[in-house]
Amino acid sequence: MRNFTKSTVTRRHALLGAATVLTAPVILPTRGFGQASGPIRIAGLLPLTGGGSSFGPNMRAAHHAVVDEVNGAGGLLGRKIEYLVEDDQTNPEAGTRAATKLIDVDKVSAIMSVWASSVGSAVLPLCWENHVMMLAIAAADSIALLPHQGYFVRTQPHTELQGAQFAAFAIAQKAKHLFVLMPQTPFTDSVMKGVKDLCEPKGVKVSTLVYDAKKTSFRSEIDEVMRAAPDVLMMGGYQPDDIVVAKDVFRANYKGKIIGFAYGITPQFVEGAGKEAADGIYSIEPVPSASSSAFARLKKLMKKEDLDTYICQAYDHANLAILSIAKAGEASGTAIRDNIRKISNNDAGMHVDNALDGLKALAAGKEIKYDGASGPCKFSEIGNILSVTFRINQVQGGKIVEVKA
Amino acid sequence: VLDKLIQLTVNGVMAGAVLALPAIGLTTIFAVLRFVDFAVAGHMAVGAYAGYMLNNAFGMPPWAAIMGAFIAAGAVGIGTDHLALKPLRRSTALTLAIASIALNIVVESALRVAYGSAPRDFDIPLQRDWSFGGLHLGPQQVENAAIAIVVMAVLFLFLTFTATGKAMRAVADNPILADSKGIDPDRMTRLALGIGMGVAGIGGMLVALDTAIDPAVGFRSILSVFAAAVLGGLGSIPGAVVGGIVIGLAEELSLLGLPSTYKSGIGFLAILIILTLRPRGLLGRPA
Repeated sequence: MRNFTKSTVTRRHALLGAATVLTAPVILPTRGFGQASGPIRIAGLLPLTGGGSSFGPNMRAAHHAVVDEVNGAGGLLGRKIEYLVEDDQTNPEAGTRAATKLIDVDKVSAIMSVWASSVGSAVLPLCWENHVMMLAIAAADSIALLPHQGYFVRTQPHTELQGAQFAAFAIAQKAKHLFVLMPQTPFTDSVMKGVKDLCEPKGVKVSTLVYDAKKTSFRSEIDEVMRAAPDVLMMGGYQPDDIVVAKDVFRANYKGKIIGFAYGITPQFVEGAGKEAADGIYSIEPVPSASSSAFARLKKLMKKEDLDTYICQAYDHANLAILSIAKAGEASGTAIRDNIRKISNNDAGMHVDNALDGLKALAAGKEIKYDGASGPCKFSEIGNILSVTFRINQVQGGKIVEVKA
Repeated sequence: VLDKLIQLTVNGVMAGAVLALPAIGLTTIFAVLRFVDFAVAGHMAVGAYAGYMLNNAFGMPPWAAIMGAFIAAGAVGIGTDHLALKPLRRSTALTLAIASIALNIVVESALRVAYGSAPRDFDIPLQRDWSFGGLHLGPQQVENAAIAIVVMAVLFLFLTFTATGKAMRAVADNPILADSKGIDPDRMTRLALGIGMGVAGIGGMLVALDTAIDPAVGFRSILSVFAAAVLGGLGSIPGAVVGGIVIGLAEELSLLGLPSTYKSGIGFLAILIILTLRPRGLLGRPA
């Protein structure tokens, strides 16, 4: 029988242990260290499939376009940029797996254009724990309130701001009763609260119902809406569930106005729901900075006339990450975190609308201010975008057109 | 409240009738192969896309495109099983079930590559609901339930009155005895797979007719489908029908006392209760 009272540690064991401790930092993965040599890696974690799949591929193309331009002009800090992309499937589980791979295996400095709030909420802790910067679209208010230590900025207006737009629409329509129908998401509560806080003092009754977006039919939920007989219905889902809701609302013969988020009311939504169900539905959309030079430049770069806000935001994310690294002179998430406001919030700097011009200005020792295609790209202390404008669209004859409220 | 109760009951029965078809598919395959084949979800989507192609490209009405959904999902089901699961047939039921999840991902991904992720719609006019007093009923709901009932009836007649159907049931009851009677187990396995996946494909098309078509159309309902099969008794086709209706009803009636977000929990709850109190299910036989 083994004698546990007697030490079994021999000198050989002690030497082996010491050697292990000494070599561990070399062998084991490290975290928070910058990329000192080789290509500089930045990544897109995009909704290439799932509810956000209408937008992911274009966002990937915008990232690629920026990276290709910079690599074509000699790279960043004398090194090539390697752009990696992973599909988050608009799903937090898949998003977490993909982000873990990007952080642990690929050692990226930045994860860009995380689209869905559920994915953003799940992935952000991985980012701040591993000192990787997240440049996001994910709009839930709660994300910016996480203890992210500054490793988070977003170019999409947070949901409280968006909720206020829905309230303003209902008030402008002189609605007496607004019904907010939303799936369970990280931003559901904040949107509903934001809408209530603005509508109820103006005498607009607000009813709410949260549904399970994983179900295939929402007939019974629509029955609840019909019983309440609202004059405006806010459809707050993503594209797949918005399609089913819109069909069920049409079947139920609802006669009031319907409004949703622009990321749900897309051309694919019109195709999926059919023209009869989609026609007349309004949507609220954060407006890209269509008059900006960055927007004009992106149109040429993408060879597209019609740019949605997400392509613009993805373009801005890639430019911001690259310019922050250049400003820092170091490729790491911490370097991006510590320098992003120096190139985005600095109104006194030389205004640039792309990474190439910004890199030249920085190389010449100038301060810069990046003006984006999605907007001015100025961030609050907790990472929220500071200035955004919205527009209202409507489906008319199967096409989505801008209208006045 | 009574109006609401009746409306939810109607919605539940209609949803349950459609849910019963993929549950029949799952349970038919289980009866012969003795593992839970989660790839029925992907084959529901195969059926939905096949029906969509026949409807949109060839102008076939939905009731006719149903046959295409059955044949396509059944044929793909036999083919994918041959490639992916048959080599693992000697493994445990758990291994096969896990492999079927992987197969499901492959099938869904293949559809995504072929058709993209954007939802699609059948080329049929969207009809307003019929109203009866305070209640309403959708023509599409009724059509779907009617198709589901016809499919179930045909399957019942096939299994009860044809020699092939009886042979299939014999393999399900006792494969060794069936083998000794000269029934080819491989042929019966392929038949069970073809019928099971084919019926699931019809279920997928019916779900898509009411909602929209995308590669995850089956995956979204797989928990309810599995719950229906377990509740009715895995391996029991009448059980799958009863299970489908009960789960459909339970999900809708839960709205009387629970928020809508708990609907998915009903499936889990049903599985938990039935496995605790009556593991063989409502109409299943003791192991």
